[in-house]
Amino acid sequence: MRITRPRARSRFFGRYGGRFVPEMLVPALEELEEAYLSLRNNPGFKRELARIRRDFAGRPTPLAFAENLTRKAGGCRIYLKMECLAHTGAHKINNVLGQILLARRMGKTRIIAETGAGQHGLAVAAGAARFGLRCTVFMGEIDMRRQRPNVFAMEIMGAEIVPVRDGSRTLKDAVTAALKDWIEHLDTTHYLLGSALGPHPYPRMVREFQSVIGREVKRQLAALRISRPDILVACVGGGSNSLGLFHPFLRNGKVRCVGVEAGGRGSRPGDHAVRFGAHGRPGIVQGYLSYFLQDRDGQILPTHSVSAGLDYAGISPELADLHDRKRVEFVAVTDREALEGYRLLAAEEGIIPALESAHAVAYGVKAAADLPRSRVMVINISGRGDKDLFIAARALDRGNWLAFLKDEADRAE
Amino acid sequence: MPNDIAGTFLRRPKPLLMTHVVAGYPDLDESRKTVETMVENGADLVEIQIPFTDPLADGPVITAANRAALARGVRPKDVFAMVRRLTQNTAAPLLVMTYANIPHRMGFERFASACAEAGAAGVIIPDLAFDEAGGDWPGLFRRYGTAWIPVLSPGMQEERMRRILAGTSGFAYVTLRTGTTGARLRIGKAGLDFLGRVREVSGPPVAAGFGISRPEHVRALRNKADAVVIGSRLLELYNAGGAKKVGAFLRLCRREPESSSASG
Repeated sequence: MRITRPRARSRFFGRYGGRFVPEMLVPALEELEEAYLSLRNNPGFKRELARIRRDFAGRPTPLAFAENLTRKAGGCRIYLKMECLAHTGAHKINNVLGQILLARRMGKTRIIAETGAGQHGLAVAAGAARFGLRCTVFMGEIDMRRQRPNVFAMEIMGAEIVPVRDGSRTLKDAVTAALKDWIEHLDTTHYLLGSALGPHPYPRMVREFQSVIGREVKRQLAALRISRPDILVACVGGGSNSLGLFHPFLRNGKVRCVGVEAGGRGSRPGDHAVRFGAHGRPGIVQGYLSYFLQDRDGQILPTHSVSAGLDYAGISPELADLHDRKRVEFVAVTDREALEGYRLLAAEEGIIPALESAHAVAYGVKAAADLPRSRVMVINISGRGDKDLFIAARALDRGNWLAFLKDEADRAE
Repeated sequence: MPNDIAGTFLRRPKPLLMTHVVAGYPDLDESRKTVETMVENGADLVEIQIPFTDPLADGPVITAANRAALARGVRPKDVFAMVRRLTQNTAAPLLVMTYANIPHRMGFERFASACAEAGAAGVIIPDLAFDEAGGDWPGLFRRYGTAWIPVLSPGMQEERMRRILAGTSGFAYVTLRTGTTGARLRIGKAGLDFLGRVREVSGPPVAAGFGISRPEHVRALRNKADAVVIGSRLLELYNAGGAKKVGAFLRLCRREPESSSASG
């Protein structure tokens, strides 16, 4: 028997998605779905969300013409969607505010979340602090080490950070730990999942909250008298920033959408997070059916990326479907190329992107060179790079950086 | 008949004891011997877990065993070989337990056929809802002569419970609480109430699990469940003193002593 296109189509994107969870999670997911469906078009809820997005998150974020980058690439015009200017420094806040308003209306008093790079965790910690909710964030032990600045920021906002020591000690294991915590505390707790994946209704709900990105781009381009972009570029970890940018444009077949995966340090298993490559195939993990990096038996493979936000073994089921339908193209960018993208955007435009977004920059600049000046590219700068300072500086300016760290450590003692 | 679940429930004294092992932990040979020790010491049904990298419904003790078994390179085909060997010389029905990605990768049809070939009496896949993806998963396994054992949990809707029970062959596994697997000090009222609700719906026999860690838990469930499932506690005992300690605990459970400070 094969997994077929099911009757409950809203739970699926083509053959992907679904709600593959232990029965004990079904009531909580149904409660969430019901709350979401009843509120998503509720004028009061929409007004409240719009207000908090404007006043707290700082939306709309700018769409900036990257004049120097455009000149440097020597091809099409490059615009940057500045999600890095949203409060807490990334697009993650869009989804967080939506889900927090939902959780409050469901009467939940505690929020749990998983985080890889810490961008989602930081947004959750900020949202929970703003709305007076208790907050626990699960984070892989390795990611905690890589992203110490975000750990500090989350803690100072009152969140409890739980180090996850299971498995690969990165994002995938943080997701599992959060799901397990949720199973234990369903009555009081809302699991604020950070990407457009997991069991239904998360993929649809998160994508909808993130689509504000693409909707704004549409309006902002129209204000510039540009009828449509020719190419949209976004990095893809779980897929929330890319879907948020792409979704409002998917019906227009003339808009190319390119998702950039983490090519890491090589093509061997464990060295990358390219789900649409040699080791990615459909599977059912963490509550949903999508592409996962897995071995011949269905065991999930370890991943690597210089960016803690992209090294996830699965991918949004909606993107899996868009991949199969060839509506979204996927490419991979290596760690080294991403670091070059990071340096380039800083040097040319004075913007330090998150290492995740630097993957999109690296590909975007390369692709722009081959397109005529009349074309328009939008690159989503999904987050800013403060959090990656420790990784990037060590890679790009090793000697001075290590000396600085040593000096700081000496002074701290 | 080692795969006769209905007969086992009819013939053996209630509540039956159902135990759990992670195949390949600490290695394949030892886990097979542990199953034999369990059956010799009173286990009526044994659940054999194919290890998975992301066992969503399992608590820390069983998760760690999954991890260790995988680190030794245990593969699903090894587990099927182990089940096949066990069914040839153990009287207790054996149930294959794993997570949805293992059968999905293998192909559900092939997986069902492998279960049947190995002589498994039933299959437990906690993260595969009985009707998800338009599938009739219980029907698929039934066609191969393997019972689909659903896992029911407090909080589930009456209508859904009735639908699941109506299609169940074998028995239904009821968790006494929501949460992941793991030993607990006491059985909560909510769990017992839920167990009562399931039993009111006429249907297959009911096994109760999640948190069973003392012989008195077994006694407390005597007239409330047809079987009790002991998982994490046995693994903790194994880790502390090997299969011998597991056997001693099961003998204690079998005797259902009036007073016992239990078992370590």
